[in-house]
Amino acid sequence: MTKGMFFILLLIVTASILDTITQLFLKSAINSLKVCVSLNLKKIKEFILALIFLPQAWAALLVSIIALCVWLYVLSRVDLSLAFSIGSVHYIFIAISSKLLLKERVGFTRWLGIICIAVGMALVSIS
Amino acid sequence: MLMLKKNLTLIIFLFLVFSDFLETFTQFCFKKSALAGNLFAIKSLSGLLGFFTGVFFSLFFWLALAAITITFILWSSILSRIDLSVAVPVASFSYVLVPLVSIIFLHEKVSALRWEGIFFILIGVIFVSISSHKQ
Repeated sequence: MTKGMFFILLLIVTASILDTITQLFLKSAINSLKVCVSLNLKKIKEFILALIFLPQAWAALLVSIIALCVWLYVLSRVDLSLAFSIGSVHYIFIAISSKLLLKERVGFTRWLGIICIAVGMALVSIS
Repeated sequence: MLMLKKNLTLIIFLFLVFSDFLETFTQFCFKKSALAGNLFAIKSLSGLLGFFTGVFFSLFFWLALAAITITFILWSSILSRIDLSVAVPVASFSYVLVPLVSIIFLHEKVSALRWEGIFFILIGVIFVSISSHKQ
């Protein structure tokens, strides 16, 4: 693997970690609202108004903008088919952070899936 | 206990396939806008600024943002009707669609080894998502 390729892989992993952080912020924002989302216009308005005042929602927006910038830089350097495939690493980060931070249980099937994704990523990155 | 929403009706299936195409379209547009920004050589901080200015003024960038917004709304309504573990395997079809679009519209080359990798990723994503409601 060349040095340039390693740098790109590092950037894709960074973008995925930032995406995961966005998801965690959003999850925390939704959890603290304790409202039921429905397709009722008044409810949606209430929901959005409540969301605007949550710092987690703003943090999620900020982090996702940084992630987008990193992602655009990656796309300017390498093939889309390569970057998008390796971007599946975020499934692994989501699973690990759900286990560590949200105390969710990660079962056998999910670990099996994570191993498959890791093998696939390795194959894509040497191709 | 939450009731599992597993009935994958034809209409939800079609919406999921449509969201696959939207996701692929988003990535295609981001790639196009990144290529537009690429006219600037990124060797310094001002080059990086030039790159993002190029991206910002590319129509594709705004198309991608619009597609993301539609995807987000579509997913919110899909997930209120069906379980995530049922939705994601159908949605992971984009892992095949994106390389296909890359070959046809971006003239990228996808080797047999890369397709094998994509196949493993696809299987992995399906495993991860079907495990999501087992406690």
